[in-house]
Amino acid sequence: MTLIECRELTREYRKGGSVIRPLDGLDLDVDRGEFLSLMGPSGSGKTTLLNLIAGIDSPTSGRLLVDGTDLAALTRSRLAAWRSEHVGYVFQLYNLVPVLTAYENVELPLLLHPLSRRERHERVVSALGRVGLDDRDSHYPRQLSGGQEQRVAIARAIVTNPAILVADEPTGDLDKASAHAVMSLLQELNSELGKTIIMVTHDPATTAYSSRTLHLDKGRLAEANESREVPA
Amino acid sequence: MTLPRCLPYVLKQVTRHRVRSLLTVAGIAIAMFLFTVVQAMSEGVGEATSASANETTLVVYRKDRYCPATSQLPQDYQRRIESVEGVVSATPTKVVVSNCRTSLDVVTYRGVPKDAFLRDRGDALEIVAGSVADWQRRTDAALVGETLANRRALRPGMTFDAAGITVYVAGVFRSDDPQDQNVAFTSLEFVQLAGRDQLGIVTQFEVKVADASLLEDVAASIDETFATAQEPTATFTKQAFVGRIASDLIELVGFARWLGLGCLAAVLALVGNSILLSVQSRVSEHAVLQTLGFSGRLVTALIVAEGILLAIVGGAVGASAALAVAHIGSFALSVEGTSIPIIADPALLLTGLVVCGVIGVVAGLFPAWQASRREIAACFRTA
Repeated sequence: MTLIECRELTREYRKGGSVIRPLDGLDLDVDRGEFLSLMGPSGSGKTTLLNLIAGIDSPTSGRLLVDGTDLAALTRSRLAAWRSEHVGYVFQLYNLVPVLTAYENVELPLLLHPLSRRERHERVVSALGRVGLDDRDSHYPRQLSGGQEQRVAIARAIVTNPAILVADEPTGDLDKASAHAVMSLLQELNSELGKTIIMVTHDPATTAYSSRTLHLDKGRLAEANESREVPA
Repeated sequence: MTLPRCLPYVLKQVTRHRVRSLLTVAGIAIAMFLFTVVQAMSEGVGEATSASANETTLVVYRKDRYCPATSQLPQDYQRRIESVEGVVSATPTKVVVSNCRTSLDVVTYRGVPKDAFLRDRGDALEIVAGSVADWQRRTDAALVGETLANRRALRPGMTFDAAGITVYVAGVFRSDDPQDQNVAFTSLEFVQLAGRDQLGIVTQFEVKVADASLLEDVAASIDETFATAQEPTATFTKQAFVGRIASDLIELVGFARWLGLGCLAAVLALVGNSILLSVQSRVSEHAVLQTLGFSGRLVTALIVAEGILLAIVGGAVGASAALAVAHIGSFALSVEGTSIPIIADPALLLTGLVVCGVIGVVAGLFPAWQASRREIAACFRTA
């Protein structure tokens, strides 16, 4: 069942005197529960596509439906509320708030929801437990390793129980072991919790965890591959 | 409803750069200290010069004289003043000051006929220490206003010396009249004898009039009575008299209001600068918040809340310190025997906090609006 539908999706922006078009009439369908990897050279439009799906950027033209919602038709405040409900974003550089502990970082998106302190606590503990960091809840980001920071970021992304997880090079700043742990976690979230995951990556090894890999070039789809064997 | 849940986040952001925040709070506190002092002086001017509707007191002074040392009127004017229609009583008063200049610590003696004084003014004075009986018994006794007593740490039984006159403190009183709060009332003869050839000479008369509506007519009649005398008089309402004698001081306090406004501008600049620096260093963090679902309006509110918090903490420290200093010091700006009290009114703290809150909003609004309107994806590209 299609969760994300992109038709003739185009994104342009001006830089200096020239117009840059990172996405150029892209067509794409993503099914519910799918784990999709996006690959391609720098400037091919991977992150732009991710941002459009996550609702933090708007298409210049074309249509983008996510779970039946036309994101371009939403006002800024409605789009913010939609993001809070439907999307979790995992950044390459984690983007945790440095003055907040791991617990507080994970709790941050829940502050937007009408939950009691106890309900928030239960959800944060559950999310940190899911990423295996329930004993690091009082640690600040600077007291965590890169892999641990990324797992806190994943806990923050899933704590509101969104249907979609978008991840922009989630292992781009990690060593091999940490990258494996993070990718295993994402795969677990996909297979066990049914999260639809769209991941941008430069690392071919990580695409093995996904169910489908798409290659982008100059803002269009280049080819599609089925997943390979997951490395040990 | 979301904002209150996010206040711990605001608090953490404010304490994120401790030194910067502390310096900002210190700057705000200093500016608000000055602002509050200026406000306290302005309140004092207002209280000393604003006539109440039921004011029935006139002050008769020597015409064309502006200080107690040169205003010399024969004491026997009392009978002629009391014969003017509408006058209830006239109290001859000899004023001696320890310092003719404007100062925060002037001792003003007011020599009065004790019995007449107690008859006319006794009810208006609340004795907070010592006794009136003691004051009546001793020639050198003084009833000391609470402001003066606090400033000089005077208690009943002590003696103190000022302007070459040594008095015994018989009691300390509290009065609603700011002019009374900063003086020492003694026997008229005692003060007259303390000066050379001053027996029978007084500085002024305090005249009680039967009705407030008669004040102008009675003042005109008194001045007309002595128009051709060797010592002509000039008669004013009590507040107009203070306004005339302390006009330079009042003008100075009026100018100081500009200083107060300058302090507020400094607070605005300090908070604005701090918030701007903070927002500029957190472009991607605000983009992350919006990615998580924080609306632009909520991000604006969080940043403005940081401004309010900084301004209010600084304002509370500065205004409280100013009120504490004013209260402990019991200062009054005195000139030529009249006093402009510096009033440590707790309401000034509330005023200061409200002003700081508004400044916090104004200072934070523009950077907050900028942060909330940035394109989220563009913020990540830039970072």
